[in-house]
Amino acid sequence: MFGKSTIKERKQFYREEWNLKDLPDFITDELPRREFGFDHYGRGPNDRYKVFKNQDILRRFLKSKSPFAAYISIAYYRNPRAREDWQKAEYVFDVDAKDLPIRSCDCDEGEVCAQCLAESLEIVNNLIDTLDGDLGLKNIHLIYSGRGYHIRILDEDMMLADSDLRGEVLKYVAGATVPKSIYPNPDPSMVASNFNFQHFTLPLAYHQIFTDRVKYNIQHLKGTEKIDGINPKLLKDIIKFRHLLDDDAWGLFKGNIGPRRYNNIVSAMANVNLATIDAKVSIDIKRILRLPSSLHSKVSMKCVEVKDRENFDPLKYAVPKFVDERKDEEITENK
Amino acid sequence: MVESSFLNPFCDEALSIVRNQADLSTVFDIDSRLVDIISFSPHQNLSDESYIPENIINLALKRIKWFIERKNNKEYNSHDYAYFFVEDITPYDVIAFHLSAQAIANKFNFNSREMRLFIQAQGQIIEDRLGSLMLSEKRELTDDVLGELMVSGTVEWTFLKDIISSKKLSLTDLVIDNGEVILDRDEFIYRFEDKFDDRSASKMYDVLVGDNVKEEVLKNLIMQKTEEYIQNIQEKSQLIEAHPSILTLADEIEKTIDEEMTKYSTFYANLNNPGGYMEIGKLVKEAFPPCIKSTVEGVSSGGRNDAIVLFLTSFASYARLYPGIFANEGAGIKVSDIDKNLDITEREILPLIFEAADNCTPPLFEDQPQEKINIISKLGFGMHSELSLDHEGETKWYTPMSCEKVKIHLPQLCKKDKGCKGINNPLSYYTRAKWNLKNEGKLPDSTQSESNSNSDGRD
Repeated sequence: MFGKSTIKERKQFYREEWNLKDLPDFITDELPRREFGFDHYGRGPNDRYKVFKNQDILRRFLKSKSPFAAYISIAYYRNPRAREDWQKAEYVFDVDAKDLPIRSCDCDEGEVCAQCLAESLEIVNNLIDTLDGDLGLKNIHLIYSGRGYHIRILDEDMMLADSDLRGEVLKYVAGATVPKSIYPNPDPSMVASNFNFQHFTLPLAYHQIFTDRVKYNIQHLKGTEKIDGINPKLLKDIIKFRHLLDDDAWGLFKGNIGPRRYNNIVSAMANVNLATIDAKVSIDIKRILRLPSSLHSKVSMKCVEVKDRENFDPLKYAVPKFVDERKDEEITENK
Repeated sequence: MVESSFLNPFCDEALSIVRNQADLSTVFDIDSRLVDIISFSPHQNLSDESYIPENIINLALKRIKWFIERKNNKEYNSHDYAYFFVEDITPYDVIAFHLSAQAIANKFNFNSREMRLFIQAQGQIIEDRLGSLMLSEKRELTDDVLGELMVSGTVEWTFLKDIISSKKLSLTDLVIDNGEVILDRDEFIYRFEDKFDDRSASKMYDVLVGDNVKEEVLKNLIMQKTEEYIQNIQEKSQLIEAHPSILTLADEIEKTIDEEMTKYSTFYANLNNPGGYMEIGKLVKEAFPPCIKSTVEGVSSGGRNDAIVLFLTSFASYARLYPGIFANEGAGIKVSDIDKNLDITEREILPLIFEAADNCTPPLFEDQPQEKINIISKLGFGMHSELSLDHEGETKWYTPMSCEKVKIHLPQLCKKDKGCKGINNPLSYYTRAKWNLKNEGKLPDSTQSESNSNSDGRD
């Protein structure tokens, strides 16, 4: 977003701006049981298996090395230095603004802007609402990662979950499964006849989540997306009739699209929902994630914990001072 | 009123039956009371004595046999096993259940074919017994058993996490609110009445939750408890020596499963089941699903390792050697069970995988030659650079990824075509496409199924 940081800027950041207090409590609570990884030269986190017995040693390391990127394991180990004796792991949702399959900005591929970052925040807020409100998960933290967001969940049940359970919860929260529509008739005398409910006719539980996600996607389409299962003509028609969804007139919307093509939309949107989140991260129980408080040197932004998820603005809370100084220097040079 | 031990072999009443009535010294003796119950079971087929288990051990074996037949025998006749669905059988059945669990725990590994079959049989017996009851009886019994299992109006979804993790129950099919799965009508109406303007919330409860979800939860909880029970016995079995009757029953269970599976498994290309579309035969590239076609053509950096090592290796090996893995009970099967001298693996399977690896950008083995070892390991031959029968079993023969896993791990490969409809595993796509090609006469002769003698090393 603001280009790559220079070595000088990194040193300035860690020596003058970075503060131990910026590390969230959920990171410092059991620090010695986590593995740290560092990327010193911008070529990936090659310096792995690092362990810090206390915050002070970590502070000294960061201030002296000023790494290009710093990472911490989501997993807790008895022996983190060897990544042995896995005990538990945070459950993570990774939403990267540059990888959103649907975003309404004009960013080039791999780029991010204030608009798609804001859309990422809207998406993670929706996900947190489901994780918290529907599934009742506790201890959920939101981190701005530099180009998107990490939802880091330290709910005890999920921390002990295997990859399969993580995958099932991911599909539920993301809206990545086409909701069940055929239900057997509960009347014993009518067992031969089934009920068919479209997702939008059932305003509760997973059906509601799926409907909300699909509505969000449709309302953010630009018309230039390439989505498997949706051809250009269908995409054009979706955009033409999407105003009907402003009032949740799904029946009319479906009527205008046609039932067969509507089914195509539903299937395609389930895939879009899954692609919105980096699913590999969610099912991984040993991943390392960017360390909150550290610098994302590729884009010169800070990775920070989001305290007020409704009103967070990365341009206000995640821009390191040296970026502002760059602007000041540019202004001085131009004068 | 039907007793809950009819469904729940872990309820207090069932445990009391085991404590007071099970006698390991008499389980092989003819039990005239048992024979009477079976003989007087409504609609029971009595045309042959072999239909009547005369003692508890035979009843335990009949449980397994019933399940395999019910699942595989196209001419299955429920009247052959009608006694399993009369309430009077309950005490005998509870004892047979516990003896079988002990036997399986003592002889077989955790998650073995025998263990999985037994647990599935328990799930099926619950389902069928529920189906045999009057509606009012069924509802009352379901609520009673759920109560015994600590499940009432609502249950936290995390209580069901093992069942959800094993995909026996889908989170998306449950009505969840604030972390709780809604099972009770009043609770449903209380929480969701306002959501329905033009429909009765009570009727919507019947449709969305009703008997189906509760019964599914009940069945899966008992299956889960059975699994834990066997695991628990296995842990203790190292300290306590099993009774000889239990060990004999274990041998008999193994024999029964072998005999039954041989009768029905297409893996054995049995004469009873000719022309199944799970036949073993040469790989037919025309029948490959789009994701495999893309993998064979080469994958670009980023997804190469998983695509070749995890995805293609398992797909190609099972498609060639054991396409019926998901239709049959194939846990514990090894490559050499089918490819005795590993000729097929060396001449057909590995070349396909290695060629696909070469087609990657950059070629996979150029910068990651160690992945060859990982491929060997995923075929079950340990972490070695060559295939060798001496190393077989050091690692597990990795089963093919489901479509769901492909979507998560390798989303770039999932480009569906018409053949993907209703398919949840690329291997199923392949077997169906191959079957279609065969029916259309488009299957080359060289790819027709191989005879039992040269492909099945188990003969």
